[in-house]
Amino acid sequence: MNLEHIWKLTQPLLMGAQTTILLFLIVILLSLPLGFVFTAMVRSRFRVVRLIGNAYINLMRGTPLLLQLFFIYFGLPILPVIGPYLKFGRFTAACIGFVLNYAAYFAEIYRGGLLAIDKGQYEACKVLGLSKAQTTLKVILPQMIRVALPSLANESITLVKDTSLLYAVSVPEVLHYAKLAVSREMTTVPFILAAIIYLLMVLLLTFFFRKVEKKFSFK
Amino acid sequence: MAMIEIQGLKKSFGKLEVLKNISFTVERGDVVAIIGSSGSGKSTILRCLINLEQIDGGTVTVDGEPMIEDGRYVPPAEVKKITAKMGMVFQSFNLFPHMTVRQNLMMPAMTVKKMPKGEALEECIKLLDKVGLADKIDAYPSKLSGGQKQRVEIARSLMMKPEIILFDEPTSALDPELTGEVLAVMKQLAQEHMTMIVVTHEMAFAREVANKVLFMHDGEILESGTPEQIFGNPQEVRTREFLRSIF
Repeated sequence: MNLEHIWKLTQPLLMGAQTTILLFLIVILLSLPLGFVFTAMVRSRFRVVRLIGNAYINLMRGTPLLLQLFFIYFGLPILPVIGPYLKFGRFTAACIGFVLNYAAYFAEIYRGGLLAIDKGQYEACKVLGLSKAQTTLKVILPQMIRVALPSLANESITLVKDTSLLYAVSVPEVLHYAKLAVSREMTTVPFILAAIIYLLMVLLLTFFFRKVEKKFSFK
Repeated sequence: MAMIEIQGLKKSFGKLEVLKNISFTVERGDVVAIIGSSGSGKSTILRCLINLEQIDGGTVTVDGEPMIEDGRYVPPAEVKKITAKMGMVFQSFNLFPHMTVRQNLMMPAMTVKKMPKGEALEECIKLLDKVGLADKIDAYPSKLSGGQKQRVEIARSLMMKPEIILFDEPTSALDPELTGEVLAVMKQLAQEHMTMIVVTHEMAFAREVANKVLFMHDGEILESGTPEQIFGNPQEVRTREFLRSIF
């Protein structure tokens, strides 16, 4: 197998990688802030809000992402009455599933970050006269993010690899093209190429988070 | 007019009565030292004064303005206005770890007091100079010693231009060799006639710097007076026992 052939095999994989990256970016951009909403819910003063927040997180973490994707793409449209309004395209359905699922994990990561903040920080803010919103924005969130960063990095790496679940709802991505090529050409090379592509994406992400962590080290 | 007037202050945590019937007055420029064994309720008085704890009964007046009348708080906005006259320095120096010394000093003043940036920076430099830490302006708290952190904390509370500063065991978390630098700053403040209430285990400091000493035992002020009276000629058996155990 020469280089030219390898390049020919790589091209469709790179096309698939575009879908992977697009999904990754959409999910990160939407689920990171959505996670905050659920964190706020489970810390709410109101019992009902806490209950709903916790139920949501448990449901999302307690069932497989693949099941959730199937449910949204195949299950929702055949619900009685409202079904027809819940028909999404494959990629859109996948985005919804991923965002809802990852937001639950991020919510728990944030909650952990908040637990790590000393109560003296809140007291200092109160004594200095900062409002609740100012306290959260200027003092609590930056510290929470620092604590949460390693876990956020970890979860993001999992997300890169989870995008291969797109295969299950027939959105063509890296794995899809790799599998096609393997069956067509009877060679394992496309699988290896796919592995290299995932690996490169994860390494890039790892490098990025290292940089961010450095920025948040406060030294 | 008294700076702070406390009448019949009561506070319980569940069934535990931490403050039983506390009354005392702080005049402008007073340095009041509150001494007594751990768990006697010393810190709780400060925390009630600056509204970190809700009281259960009593009257608190600050600078002529009532904050709590017979157990009832004035509206929250008023409480906030009154507590803004007070600064507090904690035992555990709660500096913001994600901000440099400069940001720690400037952010609250600019956010809460709407102090213009230029003025805040000028004030920040002046106060760091005062506590002897001008060279640490761009350091993060993680790079400071305990004594330095506590001096920054004092400077930060001074940024808010308080009329009273409450010190909650400011040297208790420090290594013995670092307490001196913090006490020196506090002594300087006292000489500048800052009104201060200091909960402390530093008897030498209380004796030398305070003009009023309160001895607390079991949620009550058992004895109060000048340092000469309390340290030189204590009337109560408990006070004598406490002082003997300390020296």
